[in-house]
Amino acid sequence: MMKTLVKYEFLKILRKKSTLIVMAVSLLLTAFLFGLPILQYQTYNADGVIKGIDGIAYTKEQYLQISVPLTDEYITETIREVQGLFENPDNIGFDGTEKFLIGDTYWNDIAPRETLLNLIARNYVKPGIYVGYNSMTDLDVTNGANFYEARNAKIEMVLNDPSCELSAAQKEYWQNMNSKVDIPLQYGYYEGWEIIFTCFEHFMFAILAVCITIAPVFCGEYQAGTDAVILSGKYGKTKLITAKILSSLAFGLLAFTIHVVVACGALLAAFGVDGWNLPLQIAGTTVPYPLTFIQATLINLGVIYLVLLALIGLTLLLSAKMKNSYLVMVVIVPILFIPMFLTPSGTTGAYNLFLFLLPYRSTMPEIGNYISYQLGGLVLDLLSVRAILYAVLTAILLPLARLGFKKHQVS
Amino acid sequence: MELQLQHLCKQYGSKCAVDNISVNLVPGVYGLLGANGAGKTTLMRMICGVLKPTSGSIRLNGKSMQELGEQYYTHLGYMPQDFGFYPDFTAREFMLYMAAVKGLGSKEARRKTEKLLDMVNLHDVADKKIKSYSGGMKQRLGIAQAELNDPSILILDEPTAGLDPKERVRFRNIISGFAKKKIVILSTHIVSDVSYIADTILMMKQGRFLLQEPMSTVTDGICGKVWEVLVNERDAAKYSRRFCVVNLHHENNRVRLRIVDETAPSADAYTVEPSLEDLFLYHFGEEVQNERGENDENAG
Repeated sequence: MMKTLVKYEFLKILRKKSTLIVMAVSLLLTAFLFGLPILQYQTYNADGVIKGIDGIAYTKEQYLQISVPLTDEYITETIREVQGLFENPDNIGFDGTEKFLIGDTYWNDIAPRETLLNLIARNYVKPGIYVGYNSMTDLDVTNGANFYEARNAKIEMVLNDPSCELSAAQKEYWQNMNSKVDIPLQYGYYEGWEIIFTCFEHFMFAILAVCITIAPVFCGEYQAGTDAVILSGKYGKTKLITAKILSSLAFGLLAFTIHVVVACGALLAAFGVDGWNLPLQIAGTTVPYPLTFIQATLINLGVIYLVLLALIGLTLLLSAKMKNSYLVMVVIVPILFIPMFLTPSGTTGAYNLFLFLLPYRSTMPEIGNYISYQLGGLVLDLLSVRAILYAVLTAILLPLARLGFKKHQVS
Repeated sequence: MELQLQHLCKQYGSKCAVDNISVNLVPGVYGLLGANGAGKTTLMRMICGVLKPTSGSIRLNGKSMQELGEQYYTHLGYMPQDFGFYPDFTAREFMLYMAAVKGLGSKEARRKTEKLLDMVNLHDVADKKIKSYSGGMKQRLGIAQAELNDPSILILDEPTAGLDPKERVRFRNIISGFAKKKIVILSTHIVSDVSYIADTILMMKQGRFLLQEPMSTVTDGICGKVWEVLVNERDAAKYSRRFCVVNLHHENNRVRLRIVDETAPSADAYTVEPSLEDLFLYHFGEEVQNERGENDENAG
């Protein structure tokens, strides 16, 4: 019985022309937004700029030489090499404020590994300061690079920064998490994953598309005048509502998964899956989460799926309570998109902590920031709080939607 | 089978749509008559459990709707007024879907679907999308879905509205076929629809039952009060203002008036056999005239 009801409710959603149009537009938009980094990708060599797929292939090739464990010895040697290059005045350019390497020295010795060199250089400066490979000249490596000691010191600086306003329990939480990061870090090519991380917010359009298509699930019955006939059926106030909710969830999850496959599939097809097993810290040494790129991607996707489920719940609740789907969207669209225009002023304070939990912000992983929430002695990081919050919201909103339709009065 | 409505009320703010209605219904066809806004649809919605009464109760064989829960709805078949369909469903899909909503197993659902589609003459177009159906076809599909669970209470709200006379006759015959051993409540303001098939007439005005009578004796109350008189055209207007004129027929230069009144409207008036329409217009003449006036204004 339930299978039949779910099947027909699913068909009701799927057969609407508006569903097909909204899904097609949303898929095209997602493909465009996630395809843009491929089209716009560019890298340089001595001969000039290399764009798109050729640029990606060139970058991958450069990384072959530097896909190594970042041991203290390797980093010490690398810093010494760079310092050595700066010893020859013929290699050096000066732009009035800082020195940098030029000519063949730059193209042969720096350019192919500049991202790695910048990562190393930034590990030795204060949090929030961005320096390049040329700052390595200031480093004293006579007793070794002490790369991981410097990393720990930098993390301590982050944790003790007064603007972070972290409690002792929160500091301990992050220190404990950081201690789980495996060292030495394995370096390598991870371009595709990094771009996925910067594109997560584009999934908001897919979420909006799902909300639009399921908005009429309940109020569509009121609009069509079919509410009276189905509510007077034996299962109209029981199994049918469950079937409507299940089919909405099934449709939402399926439609969203197609978007995820198209989006991530396009990026990973172009940039390659290389780097999936590398640690997040090679993109920024102070990243606290002891995860690989694929783990972090899946966790953030999991959070986005929970956001999606909660928004399906909210859409269904509004659909059960409102007269038509336009009114539902009048509420949903601002909830989804107003936070786009609200920028956090930091990582602490009620306003910022609230902002990070809103649906739009919740698509962004924020893995480099030490954002945590404390309730009494319990400390949770941002990703965990988002997951719990949206799971709880889903668990509250879906039964409320169910009750809303059950209590609906035909008038 | 007995459906008891006990002191049923529905209040919308200060307006009382259904006002303290009590009636015991046993198998038979009940013609629920009343002008627009009399409370017919509200009453039917309450019986179908899709609108909560402000007070009062609905009991089936002595058990309240709440006590019976899902079980109550297994006895119910409902065809609401102006009810919509899923335009992208075929008639067969719609019937199978409704069968599932009504709790029929898949085998039974298929069997009943085919049988009912055949009965309402939609079998040949069962795989066509409902959006391609005419008004009459949709109404027939509406009655077919109401019959899916072989209900013992069949509620039909204005089922013939918008149908042409041929479709209305067809529809009446279908309802008659379904009506055996059931409580059928048929709401309409097209009097001729119920006069053929109803066993009992329930007449509603301002949320109350004005009259509950068997069809055979329903007009007894106006027996000897229905008159016909032939007058000239100038006098016809005068008569219309003074009396309840239920029909007016031009014959050459004269007008034959049908009037319901306690006494003879003129010396040459003679009594005629009263009809259900006379009774209806006797009670609702004013409302019907107001409705006509509003319609004319809208059309103008």
